[in-house]
Amino acid sequence: MTEFLDTFLDDYFAECDEHLTAVRRTLLALESSVGQPRPDPAVTEELFRAFHSLKGIAGMVEHREIELLAHEMETYLRAVREGDVRLTTAGVDTLIDAARLLEHAIAARRNRQPPVDVESLVLELRQIAPAGDSAPGAVAVAPPTDAGSWQCLFTPSAELIARGVNVDMVRARLRAVGEIVSAAPVVGEGGGIAFRFVFQGEPAAADVEAWRADGMVCSRVEQETVPAAVPAVPADRGASTLSSGHYVRVDLARLDDLMRMIGDLVIRRARLGDAVARVESHVPSSDWRAIQENTSALERQLRELRDGVMRVRLVPVGEIFRRVPFVVRDLARETGKRVAVDISGQTTEIDKFLVERMLDPVLHVVRNAVSHGLETVEERVAAGKAPEGTITLAASAAGEIVTIQIADDGRGIDVDRVIARARVAGLPVPAHVDEAALLELISSPGFSTRDASDRVSGRGFGMAVVRTTVQDLGGSMRLASAPGQGTRFTFELPLTLAITDALLARVGTQTFAVPQAAVREVIELDAASIQALEGGEIIQYRAAPAPVVRLSGVLGIPVPAAQERLHAFVVGAGAGAVVLVVDRIVGQREIVVRSTSDPLIRVDGIAGATDLGDGRAVLILDAVALARHARGGWGAAPRVRETA
Amino acid sequence: MSDQRSDQYILFTVAGTTYAVPSSQIAHVDLVDEITRVPNAAPFVDGVVFSRGQIIPAINMRARFGFERAPIDLRTRFLVVNTGGRSVGLLVDACREFLRIDPSAIHPPTDVLGGSGESYVAGIATTSSRMIVILNLDQLLASNDPILAA
Amino acid sequence: MNQILIVDDSPTIRRMVKASLAALSGGCEFVEAASGLEAIERLAIGPVELMVLDLNMPDMHGLEVLGFVRSHSKYRQVPVIILTTRGDEASRVAALEAGATAYMTKPFAPGSLATKARELLEAAAP
Repeated sequence: MTEFLDTFLDDYFAECDEHLTAVRRTLLALESSVGQPRPDPAVTEELFRAFHSLKGIAGMVEHREIELLAHEMETYLRAVREGDVRLTTAGVDTLIDAARLLEHAIAARRNRQPPVDVESLVLELRQIAPAGDSAPGAVAVAPPTDAGSWQCLFTPSAELIARGVNVDMVRARLRAVGEIVSAAPVVGEGGGIAFRFVFQGEPAAADVEAWRADGMVCSRVEQETVPAAVPAVPADRGASTLSSGHYVRVDLARLDDLMRMIGDLVIRRARLGDAVARVESHVPSSDWRAIQENTSALERQLRELRDGVMRVRLVPVGEIFRRVPFVVRDLARETGKRVAVDISGQTTEIDKFLVERMLDPVLHVVRNAVSHGLETVEERVAAGKAPEGTITLAASAAGEIVTIQIADDGRGIDVDRVIARARVAGLPVPAHVDEAALLELISSPGFSTRDASDRVSGRGFGMAVVRTTVQDLGGSMRLASAPGQGTRFTFELPLTLAITDALLARVGTQTFAVPQAAVREVIELDAASIQALEGGEIIQYRAAPAPVVRLSGVLGIPVPAAQERLHAFVVGAGAGAVVLVVDRIVGQREIVVRSTSDPLIRVDGIAGATDLGDGRAVLILDAVALARHARGGWGAAPRVRETA
Repeated sequence: MSDQRSDQYILFTVAGTTYAVPSSQIAHVDLVDEITRVPNAAPFVDGVVFSRGQIIPAINMRARFGFERAPIDLRTRFLVVNTGGRSVGLLVDACREFLRIDPSAIHPPTDVLGGSGESYVAGIATTSSRMIVILNLDQLLASNDPILAA
Repeated sequence: MNQILIVDDSPTIRRMVKASLAALSGGCEFVEAASGLEAIERLAIGPVELMVLDLNMPDMHGLEVLGFVRSHSKYRQVPVIILTTRGDEASRVAALEAGATAYMTKPFAPGSLATKARELLEAAAP
């Protein structure tokens, strides 16, 4: 039986995710109903259904603890829905705790860990369920509106269904123009089945006319003949989110396979391009044009295919943001601060893989902002600020870059304190600490603002891990901070990961790839023009001295013989330029980036690996990380302003 | 510990000792391809291999167990294993056999080895002709310290 | 070719039912519905030899669907297997009284569901 169940676990977990998303969303909505005589029936109904469904599927796969917990949550919600219990803040808190435990329990099953113990929360839920105040058992009725009452008779047929017009679609159409009061099947003379919808709304006359062709006959009805609203079970909620519709559920692993296949195609096309280029001289020019056109078209179409598949993996950034209000709410309670959360750009889309990896870093930065960035109510009032602090989350996309900003209007980063702590931790502190240097310091492993009593921002997930994660994803981080005004973190992430343009460089006998995006310029230089300085090397680049990093040294690759002319690529610009010296730059290629995240091969300076079509792995260099070697060895950057 | 549902193992040799890994953990066995050196990786990591569309770290098992590396010959094999969500390659002297090992023939390591508990050993199997060390892959891959040869 | 209508708002459970019944001899075609209204619509469109019906659905309770089905001369004879949740004795009784041909408690063993389905299909076949 277990083998049978195992094949459905993916579906099960996917469905759990959908229900949990609905739970998170509606729980917060529920909170604003506390203290009102009756919570919004649509909200309680949706929550109830979510718990009920979770209970059902957990039961099917024999996850007893999840079934049990969901059952208690469903029972409590039913009592709330039917007015047997009045909703209180404590009740919502318990529900939120239970929802969180539910998430943990599901995650534990997903990760094949031992089942989570739900006993205590089950008891808590039982305690608050039946014995609450009982409000009079009035039935929730949709408030009468001024909108007209309509009746719509829908007669299904095979031909309509073939066109995609089924009862569910009709229901969605009506819901879009009004509130469905009832929906029921009716039998006509001759035994045919139709569906009678009664709804309140104002459909456009043109629509009503057009809908006739879809088997929908709509007419206005007199107010008195409207049947009583179905008590507490709004007919227009539910079904569609999970019904067979216009969406296909896709296993992320299958998309990964697709991406891999496309990656292989990209490489194959590149090899074809190479081979074709080699035979140009042997081909008559008339034929050559045809070959050229076709290979160009092939390249273009492949790119489109690649982009198309990548877009399938895109999900809204809002998935990350959705968790933030919960985290902030808890933290605000614990610290006694008042915090509002302002979110924008949730619909900005980003690769699903990035969403999964960025969740923890975003939450960490938010926790820091609430714990350290924001002042207490008293402090804020004393400073002439509004008593309530604000955390702002914003996401936007421009071209191939997605930007996520997390800001607070708190006290800003205390630079002196950071410098002092850095010195205590033995970290090198530059003479002039600008925002980039500040970010560097607080992201250094070994720097931690965690006090013994500060468990909330701790958990071993420091800024260092945030930075590593962002870099792993090919992104970058920036910091802006002003004392008394607040702090803002800006993350820039690539829209999609896998394919990038790269330069190929040879160092000794080994070939490496360098992502073009990181390279400012490629130069050729005389070995003789490199000069030694303070344990490092520099060279004249654009009328200013720039540090030199010999990759042969950093990568531990023996150089066969001293070469007179060397190639190098320049990373960074202006005062931050660093010249990375290789033997030769041997080409330029579109490469498929493959992960080297296994701990055995995670080394500084290597960002991943690729292959050039000949079966050999080629390492991808993290140019920015390698450039940092220059800083370390050489000391301060060239143009330093002395601080007082 | 070995997967109870299957008693099938793949055997391989490293510096004269025969080792076994549950066959359910083996993805595939290849002839040795080009291994691309990864700078500054652990000393027993020879580098990475591009195999079937994936980048796989290559662990030199001789080096891992504290022996001197040997030149690659026709018998050398690259064993790709899957464990704990990772795919890792083991470079071994030879790898040719499948064997079914009955659980009753497996002795827990503490019976045989000393108390320091080389935890990468899941058990020692004895057959009529030889001793086979059954490896705990998760433990083997968890630590980065080279294991000193006995 | 037998048409089997599977009604449950959980796509996971629909898949499981389908998989349990996939091996029925003689072959079957499966039709799915995620709500009561959709189930009735499917019934109206084409012949159905067997219905597997969940009780707790968002728009119409399974019992209402069953009630409608049994009150219609055209569908009165369709065998219906109700899926109930463990511990819900009251629904089981109500289902049988409303005209369910059989019931299965979730979680169900795929073998049991297949056996029961085969029984009902064979009984109905001439």
